[in-house]
Amino acid sequence: MKILSVSTATNHLSVALNEDQQVIVEKNERDERNHSEHLDPLIEEILKENKLTLNDIDRFAVAIGPGSYTGLRIGITTVKMFASILNKEVVGISTLQALAKGVKEPALVITGLDARNDNYFAAGYISGDIPKNVIPDGHYKIDVLIKAIQEYAAQNKVDKIVFVGSGLEKQDEKIKALNIPYEYGTDEQNVIHAGLIGQLAIDAQPVDPDKLLPRYLRRTQAEVDWHKKTGKPFEPDSHYVEEV
Amino acid sequence: MSEKKDIRILAYESSCDETSTAVIRNGREIESLIVATQIKSHQRFGGVVPEVASRHHIEVVSQITKEALNEANCGWKDIDAIAVTYGPGLVGALLIGVSAAKAASMATGIPLIGVDHIMGHIMAAQLKDEIEYPALALQVSGGHTEIVLLKDPVHFEIIGDTRDDAAGEAYDKIGRVLGVNYPAGKTIDAWAHEGKDTFNFPRAMMEDDDYDFSFSGLKSAFINTCHHADQIHEKLNKYDLAASFQAAVIDVLANKTIRAIKQYKPKTFIMGGGVAANHGLRDRMSAEIAKLPKADQPKVILPDIKLCGDNAAMIGAAAYNLYNDNQFADLTLNADPSLELPYAKSMLN
Ligand SMILES: [Zn+2]
Repeated sequence: MKILSVSTATNHLSVALNEDQQVIVEKNERDERNHSEHLDPLIEEILKENKLTLNDIDRFAVAIGPGSYTGLRIGITTVKMFASILNKEVVGISTLQALAKGVKEPALVITGLDARNDNYFAAGYISGDIPKNVIPDGHYKIDVLIKAIQEYAAQNKVDKIVFVGSGLEKQDEKIKALNIPYEYGTDEQNVIHAGLIGQLAIDAQPVDPDKLLPRYLRRTQAEVDWHKKTGKPFEPDSHYVEEV
Repeated sequence: MSEKKDIRILAYESSCDETSTAVIRNGREIESLIVATQIKSHQRFGGVVPEVASRHHIEVVSQITKEALNEANCGWKDIDAIAVTYGPGLVGALLIGVSAAKAASMATGIPLIGVDHIMGHIMAAQLKDEIEYPALALQVSGGHTEIVLLKDPVHFEIIGDTRDDAAGEAYDKIGRVLGVNYPAGKTIDAWAHEGKDTFNFPRAMMEDDDYDFSFSGLKSAFINTCHHADQIHEKLNKYDLAASFQAAVIDVLANKTIRAIKQYKPKTFIMGGGVAANHGLRDRMSAEIAKLPKADQPKVILPDIKLCGDNAAMIGAAAYNLYNDNQFADLTLNADPSLELPYAKSMLN
């Protein structure tokens, strides 16, 4: 099975071509601001070098979130259109699970993306070929995340924690206070690798391309304010869009 | 079999709060047009919230691609080009259309065309009637108020634009003061027909000899009038307020546009943009042009009301002209939120 996978969830752009479990090629662009300009040419480059066309791909995979809202939408729109037009399978993989897969040794992996003001899009996974989720993907204030780690460690044997992602070192004091051996991810582990997304994609359930949407894990501020002000419940997003 | 082959363009538009796809034949005929509007969502907030808009766009974009093809009774093999608005507009919103169109182009091998949203608004006229060049367009919407000279189907130049608020923006702002739900233009237009111009609001820059506009003074005068009345507990007639505001906007637009028509002598006069749906403005422009000497009267094309707002049909129409001019984009096409048509050379200082 040929899998083409993409991550535009952070400022790091990653595209990979996998054949079953094997990563044939992965290309990365660091600190990239214009995913829109670079994503498609990078995909085309990989296909050309391997003498393939999009039609030869069996399954598309993408970092579904959390991450930069605009970034996520570029990657997801792209693969959802590929899959929809070419009638291929498509899967969305948790950005945080993909990060956790970069850690090979046995550990509790806390993956987090800096969401400013001591907030993180974060989760806890047990490392492994398919990292097992133990603290759900969410938007956490650092103190809430630390508490979730404490609660998990109180009930499970945790020999070591690896903190992977961005902006976690800032919390070193609070992390130290957990009193559990820990380390931070390497530069390679701290970025999202499309090759790992491709490997996770094998066991993931394909979805209808039309229904493939970012997992933002956060409502917009405007909606939160509206809800507070009016007390009205949130309706499914589709209720707000009408074909005319 | 020397007959020219039909050119079919699949077009995308997602620059603001409408996600739209269309199939357009030969730049003139709408074979399908799908518009998914988010107005109901943004009405919660009293205006368009960019992040919310982007979230809605991605929800429908692949679905309405299929719908446009189905409704036009065609498949990808019948499509000669894929067109998309790449600016101006909200960057996150534009990026959905741009990413979708590029992916579609890559997946199908069909060439890609990037379209300026304003060029699209102006080309809504081409879906109504044949444009003879040179043409002159009054382009009025929420974000833009411009007089544009069309030398040919692909060379457009701005000869005048707004120095502050766009006319449509002013409508929305005074709408808020009058308690009218966003978007306010349609209601203000309707109220204006019920009232009289009794307030005599200023007509800024009307007598200046350039083609630029300014609507912030009018907006302030309007708001001050309402606040003052509030303070002395006087109730103003909302119909007269609407009529007075609209008369001031239309006076300035009509006055400057007619002067531009006299100077540039276009063969066609076009109105485009959301405010081009305003009945007061449509009637006034037609009447003013009818007053010109017969020989100086350009053909007038007022686009269908439903094509004045944002839609992909107009993008497909403009893209057809770019197609004929061999203006294609590649896979590096990016959203350009502040894209602008070029200014006429004589306008540059
Ligand atoms: Zn528009």
